[in-house]
Amino acid sequence: MKESLLEILCCPLDKHDLELEDAEYEENEVVSGTLICTECGERYPIEDGIPNLLPPDMREGTPA
Amino acid sequence: MKGQEWYQADDVAEEYDDKRFSRGGRLIDRREKRALLEAVGPVEGREILEIACGTGRFTTMLARRGADVVGLDISAAMLRQGREKARRAGVADHLEFLRGDAGRLPFPDDHFDTVVAMRFFHLADDPEGFLREMRRVASDRIVFDTFNRFSARSIYNWALPMGSRLYSKSEVAVLLAKADLTLVDVADDFLVPYGLYRAIPNALAAPIRAADEAVGALPTADHFASVSYWTARVR
Repeated sequence: MKESLLEILCCPLDKHDLELEDAEYEENEVVSGTLICTECGERYPIEDGIPNLLPPDMREGTPA
Repeated sequence: MKGQEWYQADDVAEEYDDKRFSRGGRLIDRREKRALLEAVGPVEGREILEIACGTGRFTTMLARRGADVVGLDISAAMLRQGREKARRAGVADHLEFLRGDAGRLPFPDDHFDTVVAMRFFHLADDPEGFLREMRRVASDRIVFDTFNRFSARSIYNWALPMGSRLYSKSEVAVLLAKADLTLVDVADDFLVPYGLYRAIPNALAAPIRAADEAVGALPTADHFASVSYWTARVR
């Protein structure tokens, strides 16, 4: 993802802003890091450059 | 394997476009893209979100035509294919992909001009909730398709890897009203179900399609149409 995507992304649970932590970059792209909700503190990983904004109950290892 | 697991498996994602949209499937691909473009209207400079974008067939096309596009899907494997496709098409600067839940979108209210969901509602367990959420993040237009009840499609539903939800026109009208959306247009297509097109070579698909279109032009044929493309406006 490009860092500018952060301007429109918000927490899927409470719609508050997200902050980017531990970002690693490759050619203007954020390839890994964590997006953290400034309100509830929920953490959303960036995996292979694709942010995973699935709510915690829908992530891998959680029964669908 | 359950539908959701099947859809998210790496090997399924890698072969998805080849299996579904080669051979007779190419006709479907072309027809769907045309239907979407007609429903969406001018895309240049528009902010568009596609729900359940899969391997990015539509997102790439929309970005190529000058839209700023975000594609959301549940499957990381599908999105990896989408990103590759966007890079090859040279539109990666206007196209972002992310994983998310269609029922709880990670975007603020009214952010996108247009929100699109193709081949999504037949798999939706909560169509009302999904449509309401699409409307929440849209400021102008919503475009989606449904597979119809009383269509040729019912015949082969059992063959789908996951149960398929069919809609009547009046059901969709109620859904739109409940989500505070105004219907702008609805277009119907494909009397012969997708599964048949996929199974036959392109050379055969074209004549069947021609017969399909001839019958589709008859006034009573709408009731048997397999797919409807819906355009709605935010009230």
